[in-house]
Amino acid sequence: MSSAEVLGQADLPSSGPPTSDSTPRRGRLNPLARYLLVRLALIIPMMWVLVTLVFVLMRVIGDPIQAAQGGRLQPDQIAERKAEAGLDRPLLTQYFEYLGGILRGDFGTTLTDNREVSDILVQNGAATLELTVYALIVAFAVGVPLGRLAARHRDRFPDVVLRLGAILVYAAPVFFVGLLLKLAFTPFGWPSSGRASTSTELALSRAEGETHIMLLDAILHGSPAMVLDVLQHAVLPAVALGLLTGGVFLRLVRVNLLQTLRADYVTAARARGVSEKRVVRKHAFRTALVPVVTVMGMQIAMLLAGAILTETTFEWKGIGYELSEYLVARDFLAVQGIVTLIALIVGVTSFLIDVIVALVDPRVRF
Amino acid sequence: MSITALRVPAVVRQSHGLQRFMLLFGFALMAMFIVVAVFAPWIAPYDFDAVRDAEGVRFGTQQAPSAAHWFGTTVGGHDVLSRVVFGARTAVEVILLAVVLSSLVGVPLGLVSGYLGGWLDRTLVLVMDALYSFPSLLLAIVVSIVLTGGQSSAFGGILAAAVSITVVFVPQYYRVVRNATLAVKSEPYVDAARVAGVRTPRILGRHVFSNVSQSLPVIATLNASEAILTLAGLGFLGFGIEPSAAAEWGYDLNKALPDAASGIWWTGTFPGLAIVLIVLGVTLVGESLNDILNPLLRTRGGDENDADEVAELVADDVPVQEARATADGERVAVLSLRDLSVSFRTDGAPVRAVREIGFDVAPGEVVAVVGESGSGKSVSSRAVMGLLPDTATVEGSAVLTTPGDEPRELIGARASDLRSVRGDEVSMVFQEPSTALNPVRTIGWQIVEGIRAHRDVSVAEARKRAVELLEMVGMPDPAERVDHYPHQLSGGQKQRVVIAMAIACDPDVIIADEPTTALDVTVQASILELLLSLRDRLGTAIVLITHNMGVVADVADRVVVMYRGSIVEQAPVDRLFAAPAHAYTRALLDAVPHLGRENGPSPVVDSEVVLDVDRLVVDFPGGFGRPTFRAVDDVSLQVRRGEVLGLVGESGSGKSTIGRTTVGLQQPTSGSVSVSGQQVSGVSDAKLRPQRRKFGFVFQDPAASLNPRMSVGDCLAEPLRTQTDLAEREVRAKVRQLLDDVQLPGDYEGRFPHELSGGQRQRVSLARALALDPDLLIADEPTSALDVSVQARVLEVFRELQERLQFACLFISHDLAVVDSLANRVAVLQHGRLVEVGPRADVLGSPQEEYTQRLIGAVPVPDPVEQRRRRAERSASL
Repeated sequence: MSSAEVLGQADLPSSGPPTSDSTPRRGRLNPLARYLLVRLALIIPMMWVLVTLVFVLMRVIGDPIQAAQGGRLQPDQIAERKAEAGLDRPLLTQYFEYLGGILRGDFGTTLTDNREVSDILVQNGAATLELTVYALIVAFAVGVPLGRLAARHRDRFPDVVLRLGAILVYAAPVFFVGLLLKLAFTPFGWPSSGRASTSTELALSRAEGETHIMLLDAILHGSPAMVLDVLQHAVLPAVALGLLTGGVFLRLVRVNLLQTLRADYVTAARARGVSEKRVVRKHAFRTALVPVVTVMGMQIAMLLAGAILTETTFEWKGIGYELSEYLVARDFLAVQGIVTLIALIVGVTSFLIDVIVALVDPRVRF
Repeated sequence: MSITALRVPAVVRQSHGLQRFMLLFGFALMAMFIVVAVFAPWIAPYDFDAVRDAEGVRFGTQQAPSAAHWFGTTVGGHDVLSRVVFGARTAVEVILLAVVLSSLVGVPLGLVSGYLGGWLDRTLVLVMDALYSFPSLLLAIVVSIVLTGGQSSAFGGILAAAVSITVVFVPQYYRVVRNATLAVKSEPYVDAARVAGVRTPRILGRHVFSNVSQSLPVIATLNASEAILTLAGLGFLGFGIEPSAAAEWGYDLNKALPDAASGIWWTGTFPGLAIVLIVLGVTLVGESLNDILNPLLRTRGGDENDADEVAELVADDVPVQEARATADGERVAVLSLRDLSVSFRTDGAPVRAVREIGFDVAPGEVVAVVGESGSGKSVSSRAVMGLLPDTATVEGSAVLTTPGDEPRELIGARASDLRSVRGDEVSMVFQEPSTALNPVRTIGWQIVEGIRAHRDVSVAEARKRAVELLEMVGMPDPAERVDHYPHQLSGGQKQRVVIAMAIACDPDVIIADEPTTALDVTVQASILELLLSLRDRLGTAIVLITHNMGVVADVADRVVVMYRGSIVEQAPVDRLFAAPAHAYTRALLDAVPHLGRENGPSPVVDSEVVLDVDRLVVDFPGGFGRPTFRAVDDVSLQVRRGEVLGLVGESGSGKSTIGRTTVGLQQPTSGSVSVSGQQVSGVSDAKLRPQRRKFGFVFQDPAASLNPRMSVGDCLAEPLRTQTDLAEREVRAKVRQLLDDVQLPGDYEGRFPHELSGGQRQRVSLARALALDPDLLIADEPTSALDVSVQARVLEVFRELQERLQFACLFISHDLAVVDSLANRVAVLQHGRLVEVGPRADVLGSPQEEYTQRLIGAVPVPDPVEQRRRRAERSASL
């Protein structure tokens, strides 16, 4: 093969065109490390912008005490309350104190019940995490296989039904779906509020080493009845929230799969005699997942917003439930703290999503 | 939504089937809610907050549906129907306000930020991304708290809700418009406007916004549905509109929540259904618009414009005759096509791409199928492989005869039979190696997959074979590269991988579809060499599809010429080049420029220097953690009045960057550029503007170099209106004259770019560049996207105008033969450095530098005898 070896020199990357898309990258940093550092560098200012925005809106334009108590208290009483909460000091001082607090994990104290906002994260965060995970499981189980099905039968019966279904699911607010589920299932005695029966909850809260993750606690407690009870309570909220996200996943998977099925490398795989099933499964599906995962990162925000409504509907005592309670109580210091907390959660999850993208897509890794 | 309304008829006409049903159903739902909203006081039986009827009798709480209260009453004793009806009014008002407000803020921000870039853009992106990533409902809550001060007030009504929602949706408009702006901004027609000195606000309005705005109806409708859901969510959490101010569905649903446990269904179901239906209506409209307007998801008819232009070249009186396969040699054809026809269903009339063609391929033979775009050469080979989309109908026969097997018919064969043929007996090499490889799988994985699809071997064995194959195709370090991903390889290496896959199962036939078109000439030469050596060693038959007559002369044994779906001639390669029988073949061969045989102009002496590039350096920052990339490295050159300087080099050599720098589209890192004695580089845009009339620019891609929304006349008039004080009548006269100059009929003024062929567009582009009688013309690969016969026509027009107007021209091209035909002097560029510069005859005729020699040696000339001589010389020297 001497001639080919000689001629092979012509298109070595070193002598080839030095454009970034045709040459292997010659960065000084490991590409994966560089990618993650860039993402991190982008996410930190993003979180800073968010918490600053919350501060500006709530403190500079608005005034939590005035907003909560205006009209109910005399002006001098309001001033007194403000001084108590330290809200009469210069804004810049307050701002730096607020930022410092966030760095220390201190998100302030509620007005109504003098609770540390960070305690809400500890006590109610697990419930929200649990609900989100259940909903994600439902969303994946519904969205991904059905999206594939719709793409494979493009413009034929299953596709039409599934697409209309996905739009319908999207059009129904999660609290309305929740309400319908309640209407449908309460007559059969299916639990439709709270995370577990009162007895289970009591037993678990007394148990040693409580994780606040109800399912885990029940398993650790070793009582199959309690595990079943917890799971039963989770079904309706998980379905309500999961369907919403599942509809989005379905459409995403469908569109991306349709586009990758037209890609040249899919035709190339067919031209190699690879079976159609394998073409879809091994070639189209994995590349189609890359944008799906990216968009999924953006869906986290939607999922969290949905969680607030779902928790309120099913009295699921997570962060969102607490938030809506404090909203009703007009406790805007609590609201500010919780909103800040959620901003941080959004930032951290979008970074985690970037890590997942890197794992799925070798173009990022190498 | 008003934008949507204007486009409705056109959009409905473009839709069909389910899509149209969804669109119309969505519109019907939207219309119903608008009617209900407008006439709410007349439709609803009671006021939304009434608890007593006309006689002053209380309705009672939680009453089941009855004749007096069709939908029953709520826990607060209100009539559910009335609240649902008035709720529609609230919803429609809020959406309209929110959509209008958020587009009014988001669209201009996106336009300005995307177009201007810089720190403003970076800051806005950061803020908008932060807002976007945040749960929209929470944001709306926070804004709503701030706006209402947390208490009941007059402001706590519709406007407050709309403003809260606006803040949420501004980032979405911003993102979409900014991204679209970024995309449009890099289009050549925007660069063309900048080169003509058009001011930024006008560019934003005329060029960017008009092209960005088509995505707005989709965004507006999709956002409207989210706006309703957010409004309902706010109401559900008690933070929307004050219950005393207006009826709101979300609020009612919240109040109905406890009822669900006691089986009272009517209080929640009706407002909930109302939300579902209105969101459904708006979403259906948005989704269908997106589907209809998204070109990625559309099936379209072929572009016949170019074929029309080619037709001008072929004498009409020559009948397009079907040339039968000539019986060359006694060998049995391995692949034999007979009466093969292909047609495509499209949204319009069916398109016949291939008409009853037939040819044979013998073992060890290279048959070149040549033709210009749209001639059906690729389609016919894909038809043989069964790789056409569902919209294609294939008729005729393709028989595969392999040693030891019965002859097999491939057209209409069962999918499983076809699958076992593909990659095993017949395999394919694709044009664009970077898209033919799956980006998320290693090359080894992809080769192994092909082997294991046909051979019952273990992964380890297949992998061993993959390494052997990579070695065979001349891949350096095959044992290591086998685990690389495609993006880690160069273009030529990727094509080697594609070839390795094609030969993995020792196929009898390889169909190579433009295998070297995407590659530089030096790489092309090595890939062709590789294909020939494989043919020699393995005895494989090769069907080589190409438009490049030089490649044909270099490697083909026999040639099949296709024109508009039919075969017009087939002959052994020597006979075809020496004595072409068909008029089309003759026209085609005449149009091909022949490096070394062209007699371009001699150097110009004693005229003033127009373009002076002095020690130019252009760096591109490499981004975080990456080294800076030097695109142009210390280049000095001059172009005189009346002179054409051909600037040649392979991809990435920096030739386009030099072109862009000379017209101020790119700022140099160091060095200077001056035109007619005036400094162009490092000058502010405002200062440069009056200078711009001195130069014109012709871009490569004819499809993108004209604004699709401006007529030809407007395109040509734009530089005149910007740079001169000519009266409208004079502008029109000049436009006519320009059209005449580039030999287009005067009535083309009113045409739009999509109504023109590629060659015609490029002529308009040339006319626009010459509108202001510039001293200097920069032509950046003006003909490389065109077919040869069309190219010949454009070059002819160019040559004639250059001789008449005597402008200086920097002609950038990768095609040495084209440069040979029209340049006075030639400059050769490699990796951003000037390798050699001098009179055309010297540089191309007797190059001094090793790189120039290699470059020229790699260009195949359209002469089989000459190519054979070169090939013999080369193998003798090895």
